[in-house]
Amino acid sequence: MTGQLSETTTLTRIQDWVVKYGFIAVTVGLFVYFAITEPAFATSSSLFSMLKFASVTAILGLGVTFTMVVGGLDLSIGATAGLAVQLAAMTMVFYNLTGPTAVVAVLLGGLVVGLLNALLIVVFRIPDLLATLGMMFVIQGAKLIPVDGQSVSSGMVLRDGSVAPGSFTPDFLKIDRGFIGPVPLPVVIMLALVALSWFVLSRTTWGRLMYAVGANPEAARLAGVRVGFYHGLAYVISALLASVGGLILVSRIGQGDVNAGSSSLLEAVAVALVGTSVLGMGKPNAWGTLLGALLVGIVLTGLTMKGMQYYHQDTAKGLVVIVALLFSFTLSRKKLRYTPAT
Amino acid sequence: MRNSKVLMAAITGASLLALAACSQGTTTDPTSASSSSADSGTTTEVTADAPAPFDGPVRIAIVQQSGQGDYFQQYLNGTRQQAAALGVELDVYDAQGDNATQASQLDQAIASGVDGIVVRHGYPDTLCPGVNAAIEKGIPVVIYDVEIQTCAPDAVQTQQSDADMAGLVLDQMLKDIGTDQKVGYVNVAGIAPLDRRDVVWRAALDTNGWQQMFYTGSFTNSTATDTAPMVSSALKSNPDVVAIYAPYDEFTKGTLSALEQNPDIASGIKVYGADISAADIELMTAEGSQWVATGATDPNAIGAAVTRTLFLHMAGELPKGATVDFPPILVTQDFLRQNNIKNMDDLRAAEPALNISDVSGADWIPSVTF
Repeated sequence: MTGQLSETTTLTRIQDWVVKYGFIAVTVGLFVYFAITEPAFATSSSLFSMLKFASVTAILGLGVTFTMVVGGLDLSIGATAGLAVQLAAMTMVFYNLTGPTAVVAVLLGGLVVGLLNALLIVVFRIPDLLATLGMMFVIQGAKLIPVDGQSVSSGMVLRDGSVAPGSFTPDFLKIDRGFIGPVPLPVVIMLALVALSWFVLSRTTWGRLMYAVGANPEAARLAGVRVGFYHGLAYVISALLASVGGLILVSRIGQGDVNAGSSSLLEAVAVALVGTSVLGMGKPNAWGTLLGALLVGIVLTGLTMKGMQYYHQDTAKGLVVIVALLFSFTLSRKKLRYTPAT
Repeated sequence: MRNSKVLMAAITGASLLALAACSQGTTTDPTSASSSSADSGTTTEVTADAPAPFDGPVRIAIVQQSGQGDYFQQYLNGTRQQAAALGVELDVYDAQGDNATQASQLDQAIASGVDGIVVRHGYPDTLCPGVNAAIEKGIPVVIYDVEIQTCAPDAVQTQQSDADMAGLVLDQMLKDIGTDQKVGYVNVAGIAPLDRRDVVWRAALDTNGWQQMFYTGSFTNSTATDTAPMVSSALKSNPDVVAIYAPYDEFTKGTLSALEQNPDIASGIKVYGADISAADIELMTAEGSQWVATGATDPNAIGAAVTRTLFLHMAGELPKGATVDFPPILVTQDFLRQNNIKNMDDLRAAEPALNISDVSGADWIPSVTF
């Protein structure tokens, strides 16, 4: 009897360890494995290009994280990034304005999308998923109207037959192509936003109340929390983060690519979900989302270097998500605080 | 219960690692992937030893904007087989149509330390920094069909010769109909290869005294279907044209169905097209078909020729900034019918020139022919 009890305790301890550190262990293990077997993998240029690749996914993932914290999910995040791409291109190419103006225009655009999402969800009480799904389609369509469905590039011929006057300014292109020391600028932006998001979510009253709203809106309301405000705030933050992601995207592409951002939604949701399993937290968190984006980057870079076919990549991504969810849902003994959006 | 959960975690962790390990075994042999569905090629004999760097192990990468569709699959098949023929390892980066991903993948390819890179399609503004970064690091780059000359002058440029494709077909048209005739034109502006064919068409109009009675066409997701009614209306108001030039096979298909809808005015009108595929061959050889000539290249052969161009460039036998055009051949309805050609294999057998195996050839490169 006693023996059995102590055995259970040991197993429980192992299980807790696996839940808490298992995912980090898998990440580190894969990293070491790739670094040993592929000499080019752990070079600084390879690591920085991997981080750069992960930056947009991570930043959009942070947006998803905020909305998951309040118990929702922002499906319009990829479309909002795409809108940012279009707005930046139009500001500089059509209207010949400066790079900083384009950044302001993009952030204003993001703010409007966030407020509209908040309006639909909080004031009109449309369920999160449905409101943002509708918003996703609206943005995807609406952003094409002023550009006649064409990708915006410098020197393009406009509807009236004249040539577009502006072009992408060098300072704007630095957003993705610039460096601070040896570190690419988008990586710096990503790390800064992760740190900021962590601080807001974990160290401020606003963040804690957001978690409270997500865990049990009714209890939060009875405790005197302005549930609607925090719920809406998450969507405004999410749209702003998506806009920053879009700024990096458009600066990387150097054109107002009409398809940009559309493939980012599922990846962002995936890394935010992966992030819930880190350190056995079982709840959406900023560092976890970063780790999720890095893990996806490590797996894809490593497997590509190993010569894996590109069409296997989605399968690999999916397995990463499922393994992560096994850690947080199947193995965890803790009752999860993540409540799915309705 | 708990026991099984821990076990499960161990299994999932182990299988993830196993998955990574397995992929190495299945893919370092580049021929294994191509043997399944694609056209398999044969290789020519080499008569000389390969120069450096091909005296040791070599790894190259292709960074492609999209790999979807029959054309691009054949293209990649050609690239794979040509790489395998020289014993070169090939990494394939496919952005699946996402331009930002293509830029990142170009960075990754550079960082992975490959010895040479092929960049296929994409935006010049997106690819320019990466292409220049690669060249700065001493990695030779060959571009296929990206207008990047001005910002990356040191990259080797390749493209299918659209000017030749149009020229061959229009010469045939001149032979068939003569000068000073009324003709129709189906094309759109703004798509690079079609614009290059358009330049040749304008010149032909001038020199041959042809009178362009209509200019129409629609480039959409269903180009042939959307183009047909436009050509149909154009024909009704211009029933006296003797020939129509439609320099893209979807336009040609749309034109053919417009002719079918107007049998009373359309009989006798000759159609000149571009491109070739099994479906196109069937259309050209069908009973009463009015599609009399087209210009053709084989995507398999082009994929292989691009790879040979990179090999030459890596070996220092092709200078920076060089341009290589892949010539098309003229395929006429008479030729197809006389040789009883039913598909691409028949056509390759009857027209070995389609293999362009002499383009970017060398005595140390085993050229792949299909």
